[in-house]
Amino acid sequence: MDIRTLNLKDPYYYQQWQDLIQSEGLFIENLDDITETLGIYEDDKLVATGSYYENVLKYLAIDPKFQGGNTFNQLVSTLINELANQNIFHIFVFTKPQYQQSFVYLGFQVVAQTEYSTLLETGDYSIEQYIEELPKVSGKNISAIVMNANPFTLGHRYLIEQASKVSDTVYVFVVAQDSSLFKTSERMALIKAGTKDLKNVQVVNGGQYMVSFVTFPSYFIKSRSDVAIYQTQLDAQVFKRIAKALKISKRFVGDEPYSPTTEIYNQSMQKILPPEVELEILNRKAIDTDIISATKVRRAISDSDLATIQKYVPETTFTFIKDNLQTLLRRINDGN
Amino acid sequence: MMEIKHTALAGTLESSDIQFTLSKGTGVEVNLDSQVEKQFGNQIRKVITDLLAAYDIKDVTVRAVDKGALDCTIKARLIAAIQRATDTKNQPNWEVLG
Repeated sequence: MDIRTLNLKDPYYYQQWQDLIQSEGLFIENLDDITETLGIYEDDKLVATGSYYENVLKYLAIDPKFQGGNTFNQLVSTLINELANQNIFHIFVFTKPQYQQSFVYLGFQVVAQTEYSTLLETGDYSIEQYIEELPKVSGKNISAIVMNANPFTLGHRYLIEQASKVSDTVYVFVVAQDSSLFKTSERMALIKAGTKDLKNVQVVNGGQYMVSFVTFPSYFIKSRSDVAIYQTQLDAQVFKRIAKALKISKRFVGDEPYSPTTEIYNQSMQKILPPEVELEILNRKAIDTDIISATKVRRAISDSDLATIQKYVPETTFTFIKDNLQTLLRRINDGN
Repeated sequence: MMEIKHTALAGTLESSDIQFTLSKGTGVEVNLDSQVEKQFGNQIRKVITDLLAAYDIKDVTVRAVDKGALDCTIKARLIAAIQRATDTKNQPNWEVLG
């Protein structure tokens, strides 16, 4: 048995890998979401494989003849060591419920599960630690909104305002993913600046647990709609766990008439969150029937159309965009 | 006193081995996950805490996933993890090793 790195761009390796993956019933979504792939060989036969993207293990498959033995432990262990060499110690894995126990046996802990899939994690950080680091509040009506706010618009402001009126505290979880035009720190700062007058709003980082690549890859990668359903349900379960710890009883979302992914997401939440967490879908704010969206703002940024930007965003966001227009344009040109 | 500078990992999850993840913490905290917890859990913890004491490490979070390792393996893996986490890979502590 020896372990090799597989170059999937090489058709020879790709064929072996694909055969093993597919024989184990896994669906190949997109090779761009793989950083590195390892393979375990018995003589010249590929008998086990596993990959990772950032800190997420994926595409783990083992030849049935080698299942239930040390091969699985060797595979997972090698992947963990490979990531440790890159100073990545907090690792996630998405898997089918029937493999949950095999990972638990290797020290992984369940973050959340649905009837279709399980999310587990291991290493030097955990969802418990994340929950512990969040600010705690007292009060009866505690609600939450999860947003990317790329960037913070009058639409986001409207959503938070509505929630703020009917809640003792509103947690605003900011999606932590630097694949957006505005960096996480910038998006957080703009939400804070734009809601400064609302004293019962807590703006917090969503970490790796709120609509991130980990819990919700199909939000960022287009894929089949049933994959989106599995993942959104898992994401909703993760949210529910955090909501329970913070005594959040209501989640507000904006309706999204044009995005099928968001529509699936809202449906999944409606299925998973109640009765513990009530879901309230609010209509988007429009200016003369023109719905405000961050997409429109980003488009206006790429056109350097300041007049349009000003129409959709609060003063604080506008000032930031105006002062950083060159930086933002450069990010757009660089492919962000 | 030796300080944990960053998270470090040593060992594997294969049979007869143990995997250590050391990270910054307050006080010594040992989370052991072992299939022989009932029979040897306390013995393994003692090997770990004794070795940490010998290195004068007072603040550390230890995660150990044990797959039936012998004491000598536990020590070897923990020493490797300590040297990585404290950036002392090239300065072995001979007193402890002796």
